[in-house]
Amino acid sequence: MLEIKNIHKAFHDNEVLKGVSIKVDKGDVVVILGPSGSGKTTLLRCINFLERADQGEIIFDNLQVNIPSASAGDISKIRKRTAFVFQNYNLFNNKTVLENVTEGLIIARKIPKNEAIEIAKQSLKKVGLSDRYDFYPSKLSGGQQQRVGIARAIAVNPDVILFDEPTSALDPELIGEVLDVMKQLAKEGATMVVVTHEMSFAQEVANHIVFMDGGVIVEQGPPKEIFTWPSEERTRQFLYRILPDRDYVI
Amino acid sequence: MELDVNYMIDTFFLALGGISVTLQITIVALLVATPVAFFMAISKIYKVSIIKQIVSGYVSLIRGTPMILQILIIYSLVPSLINMIVKGLGWDFNVFDVNPIIYAYIVFSINTSAGLSEVFRSALLTVNVGQLEAAHAIGMSTVQAYRRIVIPQALVVALPNICNLTINLIKGTSLVFMMTVKDITAIAKIQAAFGYNYIESYIDIFLIYIIICSITQLLFALVEKHFGSYKSLKNA
Amino acid sequence: MRPFDPWFIVNVIPDLLAYLPVTLFMIVGSMFFGSMLGFILARAKIKGCRIPKLLADLYIATLRCTPPIVLLFIVFYGLPELLKVTMGVNINAIYKGVFVLVTFTLLFAASVAEVMRSAYESIDKGQREAAISIGLSEFQAFYRIILPQAVVVGLPNFCNALINLMKDGSLAFTIGLIDMMGEGALIVSRNYGSYALETYIALAVIYWSMIIVIEKSFNLLEKHLSKGKARVMA
Repeated sequence: MLEIKNIHKAFHDNEVLKGVSIKVDKGDVVVILGPSGSGKTTLLRCINFLERADQGEIIFDNLQVNIPSASAGDISKIRKRTAFVFQNYNLFNNKTVLENVTEGLIIARKIPKNEAIEIAKQSLKKVGLSDRYDFYPSKLSGGQQQRVGIARAIAVNPDVILFDEPTSALDPELIGEVLDVMKQLAKEGATMVVVTHEMSFAQEVANHIVFMDGGVIVEQGPPKEIFTWPSEERTRQFLYRILPDRDYVI
Repeated sequence: MELDVNYMIDTFFLALGGISVTLQITIVALLVATPVAFFMAISKIYKVSIIKQIVSGYVSLIRGTPMILQILIIYSLVPSLINMIVKGLGWDFNVFDVNPIIYAYIVFSINTSAGLSEVFRSALLTVNVGQLEAAHAIGMSTVQAYRRIVIPQALVVALPNICNLTINLIKGTSLVFMMTVKDITAIAKIQAAFGYNYIESYIDIFLIYIIICSITQLLFALVEKHFGSYKSLKNA
Repeated sequence: MRPFDPWFIVNVIPDLLAYLPVTLFMIVGSMFFGSMLGFILARAKIKGCRIPKLLADLYIATLRCTPPIVLLFIVFYGLPELLKVTMGVNINAIYKGVFVLVTFTLLFAASVAEVMRSAYESIDKGQREAAISIGLSEFQAFYRIILPQAVVVGLPNFCNALINLMKDGSLAFTIGLIDMMGEGALIVSRNYGSYALETYIALAVIYWSMIIVIEKSFNLLEKHLSKGKARVMA
């Protein structure tokens, strides 16, 4: 469904992505792992044009976009088919929980207000926040805010949901509630591309793991393969540090 | 539009003579205002009830009235007051002998102390109370703690605002010609009246103020760099 | 020496207030046009394209260093000359208020540009990113999400800039405009200078009251607009 080809991205003279390609099929849960600085967040942000790659193509079913020459119309089309969940939630501070979720529906997709509110309420129910419609983000915990962020993303019914380290900014005891929501979404067949350090999620829920380091994909494959018998040295070293309870032959 | 450039050059240098007056007023105002402003800031922070009310009212009054009115009021009030006092004491003193710059000193000291007290107050509040607590814990008195720990840190925060205040003070002194003080504006105006070269005069004044202002900003930037050197580059 | 007459202060206030509309008109007009110009300047500084940004920086730095009375006189003497030379228009007989409006629009724009810029830049960049990621256009993201938040942040500083405008605007009478200050000057000269102190005190009372009203109004407005925010207690 979604194919990203040969992405190159440099910030000033620092080349962060050196030719990355991935394929995402409908219903896939792709987890991108890697040390910090490997370019995983940048890759994600290039998909919905929060950053514009210097080179590369995005193919979304029958929509083919060459990134450097992409028009505003193309970008808008891609953004309407994706949704993004941010590490720092980025809820609209001046809008209530309900308004946060309906904003994209009413303004960007021109859905009538009543319908939008219904859709929003369904999404909020899914993330377990039906009792907070009129709260402002400043009154919510981090976990609650992130769940609203997820509700906001699923309300627009995207083809792919992009998650950028969704639990990294959360206190440990709040991570669980967000991961539960994500696991539920995956179970229901959502197509997700997730950058995360949460290994439990990667091992239990993902059906495809991509390991990146230094701006390239070092290795990718099903979780069983990557976690039990990684073929690349760098992958092994990374996993050894992250999963201290496994034995690897280094 | 023809600008009489020769006139402009001559007037420029003549008007420069007024800079000393401007500087005098600025420096006196700052010197007098600083201890007063500091006292007012402390009394507001430590909530010394009656004084706090008086200070609040005073600051509100000074900051809530235009500079020109303060000048006009002082200029109408003080000479008469001095006259009354002098006559009452039986001294042989002609109030018109008083150099009008004294009135300028009074007005701008009053005005600056109000603005400066707010600058000091907000700067002092940015210093974490923990600094004072730590100082007490190692046996310093409050006065020592303030002198060696709190004030130096507050000063760095306050410097940009003090720079702003100084620039506004300098701009404010452009009004003292109304009290017959011979500053830059007064001299240029007088020159202009001779040959009706108003535009040239005012452009000269404008240029002089820009020069003064730029020099002031430069000086403050240097001072800021010197005092702020304890902050590492990481935190800057 | 004539004694000080407090009753004169009370009696002269209505005469002065009769010219309040003129003063207000100058202030509101300068605020309105100055905000528009200030917005353009702020945008130039934020967007960062070299030449516009340089011009904006230069403009703001220059006006920051200019005493209001000097600018007022430059505009008063210079604008007619400029228009005469460039467009052949003679405006010497025009209402003095025009010069006042031009001067204080230019001044207000410089200070309000800084208010707008710092308020805008204090809003987390993630707010815009979240907005565009759910499909809002750049304009929609700015207008619906960033601007409302920036306004709340900038309100106290805007209030300050407005108060300074009011105080600087009191100089308009020096070029002959008959606003409250101008009427005050006329009253003083009608009394051959004998009630000067009382008149000035009356004016000071009026200005002080106006400024306090403005401050309180902005405080209320800020409270009302920030119902969604966790406020840091100042």
